[in-house]
Amino acid sequence: MTPSRLLARQSLAGLMRDRSVLILVAFFAAMVMVTAWLGWSATNTVNAIYADAAQYLAGAGQPVPSNPVGQSAPLAVLRNLGVYISLIGTFGAIVIGQLLIEADRRAGTLPLLGTRPFARRDYALGKMRALGVATGAMMAVAGLISVATLFTIPSLVVRSADLARLGLFLILGWAYITTFGLVALGAAARMPATASGLISASVVWLVVTFVLPELTANIHPTASINPVSTLAATPDSAFFRVTSTLLGPVSLSEAFAWLSGDLLSFLPDGLAPRGPVPPLVTLPLALLLAFLFALRSAAKLDLTAGGPDA
Amino acid sequence: MPSSNSAVSTHGLGISYGDAVALHPLTLDVQKGEVFGFLGHNGAGKTTTIRLLTTLLEPTTGSARVAGHDIISDPLKVRAAIGYLPENVRLYDRFTTRENLMFFARLSGLEKPADAVHETLDFLNITELADRRVGTFSKGMRQRVGLAQAILHRPDVLFLDEPTSGLDPMGVRQLREIIDRLNAAGMTIFMNTHLLSEVARSCTSIGVLAQGRLVFRDTMQVVAARYDEHSLEELYVGVAAGHSEVAA
Repeated sequence: MTPSRLLARQSLAGLMRDRSVLILVAFFAAMVMVTAWLGWSATNTVNAIYADAAQYLAGAGQPVPSNPVGQSAPLAVLRNLGVYISLIGTFGAIVIGQLLIEADRRAGTLPLLGTRPFARRDYALGKMRALGVATGAMMAVAGLISVATLFTIPSLVVRSADLARLGLFLILGWAYITTFGLVALGAAARMPATASGLISASVVWLVVTFVLPELTANIHPTASINPVSTLAATPDSAFFRVTSTLLGPVSLSEAFAWLSGDLLSFLPDGLAPRGPVPPLVTLPLALLLAFLFALRSAAKLDLTAGGPDA
Repeated sequence: MPSSNSAVSTHGLGISYGDAVALHPLTLDVQKGEVFGFLGHNGAGKTTTIRLLTTLLEPTTGSARVAGHDIISDPLKVRAAIGYLPENVRLYDRFTTRENLMFFARLSGLEKPADAVHETLDFLNITELADRRVGTFSKGMRQRVGLAQAILHRPDVLFLDEPTSGLDPMGVRQLREIIDRLNAAGMTIFMNTHLLSEVARSCTSIGVLAQGRLVFRDTMQVVAARYDEHSLEELYVGVAAGHSEVAA
């Protein structure tokens, strides 16, 4: 087994014994279930109303239209999933990314690792591999709950193309939260103080999630947690046209929301992505930059530091 | 000049952080099979020296070879040939001794990590700690598990940084016996310490570092012939304070 795989395996085992990580992942899973329940409940309500209306119309001898549930895109019932991934999933990834470095620092094992016969880059790759697996597991949980939901909602016809789009959405979600996890990992490696690393990564996340959308399209923080209002068109004013063009490419949460809406089929007709760079370019580029930042930072980590008082 | 029998040899090895000199150019030779006691006040540069020799830090001046390998051009070979026990070792609290040691054995590239762990636990007489979580251990127990991770792969050179720090007299005695056994098995030991009594009992040669400079270096045979236990302390205080007339 390569050193990076060994380090990843050890790191994952450590994460699984960390109560704060388990609580966060459980909370994420619970919120995904809430998403599923919301979708299921809304669809059931429409079904019930339709059944009553259909009975009334049939009794009155009028034509009965088809059930609107069957006409809408089935994945749209999962529209809240993007919000929970963007908020809780990302925060979970930040905590995990930070912990991956912090666990070694607090355990005082950095000098022991640094005197083992493997390259510093292997250490960084091992940590990033662990992060990727951990965030992948989170998205797998979200995927399982989502698929179970889709197949338990009556009147919803799920085709293989829908499942493929859901798979793409989960990959997108994985890339999005892993980007922030990598930022946290890199920040933790660069800043020896626990609070500094965690706070700096959280500030990046908060700015991307709440500040940038306000500057690019006047989307207030409260609106940022609504999957539909997030997808507002850029206001027709000179200020927002400029800010949208300049900040749109770095407004990752908006890029994620736009792609989520597209993949889950609830994107408003004709809504253009923010800024001149397509989201499908923005997000992979952000992931690549975060990867390079984390790689460089973790490979340059001060291996002499650490211990219980670090 | 380093000889083919050198376990550790440095030539003008030093490190600075900007204008602050952490270690003045150090030239030192430790022969294979020696138990070398590296003495000095707090902040003298002993730990920095060990960190340089174990490749945890990169020197800003000079060069060094450990177990025949250059610390700058061949760090991986150096790491494969050394063991290191830092001061206040902790390990992963949520894992058992065996889990911790298996991890480090695998990272050291051992082909049969389970056998190495078993033998090391047996060698250090801590088999009863194998399946207990490290987080529940006392300082002395942690120190022995820490030593286990350092010798799992039977290194040529073992670096110990203040190994007796915080240990009770029984722990100090046990550690001394282990050092003797490791040395008898052919391991070179490079030990930072404050305890002159330990130096007198365990070491075959000593060096004294003061303010980042090596101010004394000789074998314990010579030192013992010139100084008794009381005057060993006088020697240390004298050279460490910069009394060059007592330096050999």
